[in-house]
Amino acid sequence: MGVGSIILKLVAPFLEFIAPVIPGEIFPYFFTMEMFQRALIAALLVTIVAGFLGTFLLIRNLALIGDGLAHVSFGGVAVGVVLGSAGPLWYALLFSIIAAILIHEMQTRELLTGDASIAIFLTGMLALGLVVLRIWGGGITTDIEGYLFGNLLLIDEASLDLICIISIISLFSLSIMYSGLLATTIDPLAAQVQGLPVRAIGLWFSIITASVVVSMVQVVGTLLVTALLVTPAATAQLISRSFRLCLIWTQIFGFISVILGLYFSAELETGSGSMIALVAAVIFASVMIFQSIQRQFIQPTDNIN
Amino acid sequence: MTNTSLETNPAPLLKVEKLSVSRSGRSIIEDVCLTIDEGEFVGLVGPNGGGKTTFLLTILGILKSRKGTIEIYGQKPASKSILGKIGWVSQSAANIPNNVRITVRELVQLGTLNARNMFWGGGANQYEQVKNAIQMAGLQDVENRDLSQLSGGQRQRAIIARILASKAEFILLDEPLVGIDRESRNSLLKFLDKLCHESQKTILMVSHDIAAIQQTSHRMIYLEEKIRYDGAATCFPDLADLAALRGIQPVHEHNYTENKLYQLENLEEK
Repeated sequence: MGVGSIILKLVAPFLEFIAPVIPGEIFPYFFTMEMFQRALIAALLVTIVAGFLGTFLLIRNLALIGDGLAHVSFGGVAVGVVLGSAGPLWYALLFSIIAAILIHEMQTRELLTGDASIAIFLTGMLALGLVVLRIWGGGITTDIEGYLFGNLLLIDEASLDLICIISIISLFSLSIMYSGLLATTIDPLAAQVQGLPVRAIGLWFSIITASVVVSMVQVVGTLLVTALLVTPAATAQLISRSFRLCLIWTQIFGFISVILGLYFSAELETGSGSMIALVAAVIFASVMIFQSIQRQFIQPTDNIN
Repeated sequence: MTNTSLETNPAPLLKVEKLSVSRSGRSIIEDVCLTIDEGEFVGLVGPNGGGKTTFLLTILGILKSRKGTIEIYGQKPASKSILGKIGWVSQSAANIPNNVRITVRELVQLGTLNARNMFWGGGANQYEQVKNAIQMAGLQDVENRDLSQLSGGQRQRAIIARILASKAEFILLDEPLVGIDRESRNSLLKFLDKLCHESQKTILMVSHDIAAIQQTSHRMIYLEEKIRYDGAATCFPDLADLAALRGIQPVHEHNYTENKLYQLENLEEK
């Protein structure tokens, strides 16, 4: 029995307990039926991990790295398939980790900004995948969508296991690296002078990001991973006054997006990933509009110098 | 250590001998020799591209030297044993982007990190350390404010407070006076002066602002590829002499009395 099944077993009774008070016609199934429970747990786990990663990625100007690495992983899968590998996913992981490290290195060496190098890797590796499949792929169709858009509602036990393991490892790493990561993100040179292993922290962060993106994209899709990496963290930045609060608000906005998104997708029968992403974006827009209205009418209470 | 007369003449904190540094093939620093003793407040001035920042980065071990030796506390730059003793405030340190949410306290806390305690976020006594550093910088009132809400001077002090929390004894500052108004500038200088005299920190500050450095530091160094002047701040040459030191004939005698910074820049354009 994998980690995912254990977590599911632990959480299921609680979900079934609150199921009677859940509104909607179809939405309560997310709390009672195993298949839907898996989707709910997976979505929440992805949200938690992506929220933590996203807060740091935004400061590092790497907001689109999720999308970029997802496409890089497609290139990896294509190469793996052509080489006749039984597990093309490992190729995807390898390619994405290398890409993440190179993007990080190019940024720290000031050769390219984060978004430019992401764009280069995204297009380059996507193109590599397409070309490789075209020339050597034989009968294999270029089914990009299969690799880039997973379906939240089709999660099997193995996928849930994978998500749980990756989530646990990355949350553990991020929590012990938290301070060091913040220091290197804010001022890498100062951190280096302080004696922090800036390079090692950067590399490890890149590896975690790549692993999270690759494993989760396969399961829940690029759209959802990218949205959850960026949008809740960006919303939290609007209203937070400290880094700690920023992390907390990111989790709150992420949680609300997932629950509301699943609710609307169930009731309106739309895709779950896209609905969650849409809800997250709407929350961002509302907070921003609310905030600018507030700024217009309320004078700042304190003037410093 | 080869110093034989340790009692009468303690080993210098920083000893640089015949240092030459090149960056991307161009020689930036040539044959620089200098020593800095504990407790000194040294101002490093010079034109843009004169090698001030390069010099600091080389001392820190971030850039490699082409020739010459550097000893800090008797060790090579970036040796493990001296890492905690040196604090560095970079030129861009105060330019933390506005979308980063971080409070003064959170920032200062980062100063307590080192390679040993970075996991799980800092040492056991860090609360006191952080509190003291914030107090020294006079930022108690704004310690829970987001950095983007602070004035330029407060920001700069917050960055320095981060260094203080690390218990660094030798503080290197790169252009800490840029982008802050006159009033904040004066309070920052007063703060640095206090650090040097009351907390026994050794300070090496790079600045364009010759007038500001002159009123605060003990000693001034004019660096333009080579050291053109090294001596008491009060005897820092005026511009005509400075031009002679640099091998330039002043074209035109200006009559600015107050702002030497402006004069120097003006001179460079000629």
